[in-house]
Amino acid sequence: MIGHTERIWLMLIGLTLLGALLGEKGHAGWLLTLTVAILLVLKGGIVVDHYMEMRSANQRIRNILRLFVVLIPILVIFVHNWGEDIRRLTTLN
Amino acid sequence: MTTSSAESLSVTVDTEVTVPGRVPGNSGMWVGIFCVLVEFFLLFNVYFIAKAHNPEAFFIGPDKLATIAGTAITLLLLTSGYCMVKAVSAIRSDQRKASLRWTIMAIFLGFGYPIVKYFEIRWNVAHGIHGETGVFYTVYYYLTLTHLVHVTWGLMGLIWIALRTGVGAYSSQNHSGLEAAALYWHTTDIIWLVIFPFFYILR
Repeated sequence: MIGHTERIWLMLIGLTLLGALLGEKGHAGWLLTLTVAILLVLKGGIVVDHYMEMRSANQRIRNILRLFVVLIPILVIFVHNWGEDIRRLTTLN
Repeated sequence: MTTSSAESLSVTVDTEVTVPGRVPGNSGMWVGIFCVLVEFFLLFNVYFIAKAHNPEAFFIGPDKLATIAGTAITLLLLTSGYCMVKAVSAIRSDQRKASLRWTIMAIFLGFGYPIVKYFEIRWNVAHGIHGETGVFYTVYYYLTLTHLVHVTWGLMGLIWIALRTGVGAYSSQNHSGLEAAALYWHTTDIIWLVIFPFFYILR
């Protein structure tokens, strides 16, 4: 029987295979980075909301977890676009 | 039909608890989970800074890794996580046998991770990829093996939970331990969902 949890699991599997396909094709650049960031938000959000049942949980816990799955993709885009600035900021000499 | 056979044949119905403001599992586990998130957030920053300093190494690095291994680990962890969702759902309906079966399934799939990782590292070494091959691979080994350590703890927790479920320690009224272990297990999912594109997809 395909229930809610099964649909969520299938969605996660589908998004994972999409990511793997992108990796195998070896595409690079801005579009790949943006796609990966979107996949991260989607998959992370699904695990947080449905696997961990955070939709109705304590707001502080939910916000920290949601912040984590949104902040990392933002940093992925940031490093792609402003890698040179980060390199300069993190050079000691 | 006896109660136990009816239980073992029954379908696990999804039973998400929707009490607003609830702290799922227990507070102690959330301290542990937030420590893990902070730890990996710092390690991800190591990845970002290393990438910013070595864009070429991080551009060509994923080409030499086996994407199939990373994909297999992702599928194993997500499916194992699904089994733990079902295990929690089952215990909420007092279906102890079903909950135990789902937990054992989660453990079985979870053990697929170290097995795949073992073959992946063997494959890497055979292709000349080890910790000193380059900065990309140093960060790759450091992050993925640190994650593997956390998954090992999670698996030990799930084995403990399975034993406790087996002796009837959990019920619909008292299952915070089972829920806490499942939450930790899902946290290792979230961390891996970040690690997977970092080393196998992004260029």
